[in-house]
Amino acid sequence: MNRIWALAVNTSREAIRDRVLYSILFFAVGVLVLSLAVREITIGDQATVVRSVAQGSIDLFGSIIAMFLGVSLVYKEIDRKTVYTILSKPIPRWMFVLGKYLGLVLTLAIEVALLVALYTVLMLLQQSMPPGVVYLSMVTLMAELMLLTAWATLFSTFSTPTTAAAFTLAVFVIGHLADDIWLFGNQAQSEAMQTAARVLYWALPNFELFSLRVEAVHNRPVPWSRMWGALAYGAAYTTAVLSLAMAVFSRRDLK
Amino acid sequence: MTIDAGDVVIRTEGLRKVYRTGFWMRRVVGLESLDLEVRRGEVFGIVGPNGAGKTTTIKILTGLQAATSGHAWILGQPYDVPATRQKLGFLPERPYFYEHLSARELLDFYGRLFGVERARRQRRIDELLERVDLTRFADVALRKYSKGMVQRVGLCQALLHDPELIILDEPMSGLDPLGRALVRDVILEERARGCSVCFSSHILSDVEALSDRVAIIVKGRLRGVGTVEELIGHRVRYVELRYQGAVDPGGTLLREDDRGRVVRLAPDEADRAVAAVVRAGGRVLELVPVRETLESVLLDEVDAAAPVDEKRMGVL
Repeated sequence: MNRIWALAVNTSREAIRDRVLYSILFFAVGVLVLSLAVREITIGDQATVVRSVAQGSIDLFGSIIAMFLGVSLVYKEIDRKTVYTILSKPIPRWMFVLGKYLGLVLTLAIEVALLVALYTVLMLLQQSMPPGVVYLSMVTLMAELMLLTAWATLFSTFSTPTTAAAFTLAVFVIGHLADDIWLFGNQAQSEAMQTAARVLYWALPNFELFSLRVEAVHNRPVPWSRMWGALAYGAAYTTAVLSLAMAVFSRRDLK
Repeated sequence: MTIDAGDVVIRTEGLRKVYRTGFWMRRVVGLESLDLEVRRGEVFGIVGPNGAGKTTTIKILTGLQAATSGHAWILGQPYDVPATRQKLGFLPERPYFYEHLSARELLDFYGRLFGVERARRQRRIDELLERVDLTRFADVALRKYSKGMVQRVGLCQALLHDPELIILDEPMSGLDPLGRALVRDVILEERARGCSVCFSSHILSDVEALSDRVAIIVKGRLRGVGTVEELIGHRVRYVELRYQGAVDPGGTLLREDDRGRVVRLAPDEADRAVAAVVRAGGRVLELVPVRETLESVLLDEVDAAAPVDEKRMGVL
């Protein structure tokens, strides 16, 4: 456990010292602050619109950082050959992948916590303390980011960052269209199309399951069954994808 | 399968590595049936030209690559079990480290991967940084280090946990004379401590000076193994005869100056050539036997391993 933690902390430290991360974070903070300006040009329920834009920006930039850091997570270690001095120590391949992954999750958690703290301060200044459901939505957002990171990690174990980014983006987009794919499958005339849509639906993640944005923006209650269901789905799916990433990397020769 | 290591710290049996490269996944043999033994407490050198299989051997032994077939044991344990590497120190060729870390942070990280307890880790880091003269730069980020300094940090991480076996891949590569001397000293100190050292190098003079035994690998095959003396033998490669006088004693003329002429002769031609010079009234000034070196042995092995068509085309 200590060794996994050492790998995770080192990965997180490396990511935190990466200047590109700050650039993305800077944009995220900028959009979050600018969301207040939206109030001035909005007719109607201004508070809801501000919350919606702010919440959306946290979701979006969280996903961008997860993809950006995840797609090069393992590849960069191989490309820069830093992996040689780690795997020649008593570190199994699965432990290396897990440690790197957890380091990235730790970084994402810090980043989301920072943005949520800023969001809270802005809301306190402009309106009032955000409702509890906002924080619940951040928990499910983290579950979504963990799953997205697991996919990025998997692609990173066998492809270049560009290819991994394309694959991860595809999973991200399809994952947010999962319900539409299901609908499309039901309405398709051809049986082949129906089968293809169902295979896609079940094989790829359904990121919409994690989204509590509407509830958070409109302060609607979230049934615990939905909350726990999303978290259990995320945990199971993340474990499966991460296990696959470990298996792929375990078979890889380091040339 | 664990074996009784006894006095052997590295053993390979029929180790073979085949790579698949290119779009058509063409097979390239990197290593062919390698049988090797490195004994406890010795410094073992591996030499060979580029692409001979030295680094492939080392990568397999350190778990970075899997052998296509054959077996290898490190300190009696199978090479592909991570726990085997608990007592192994490794410095890869041209090492790369996390540039955002300082040397102290990096070594602390590696110490934790080895499970070295905190107090011992800190003490050992201080000792090693002092040993390689990097104490002043201990808290400077590695991206500001020169190549030689990075190599010294690499040595530190290989020695951090007092390993029983150290494997170094081209440890003198790209180092200045001071850096090379430091690496040589460290290798000899580790041997004196009872540690076994296996290293590959292109710098044959270092291999000759440091190694108790040497393996020659050419085109993925082991072409010879033994002490430097055993490999070189006492054979005289050729003799150089310096003489004065208007006579041709045979052989190849190397140079001619006001101190006479120098010819290169096969060893068994020396007597006849000397007699010819004396008979013609000339003076024999010098007869120098030039012995085999590790380099000449290696070149012979490379030549012997070359396919006939390559030799005919003058590739070698």
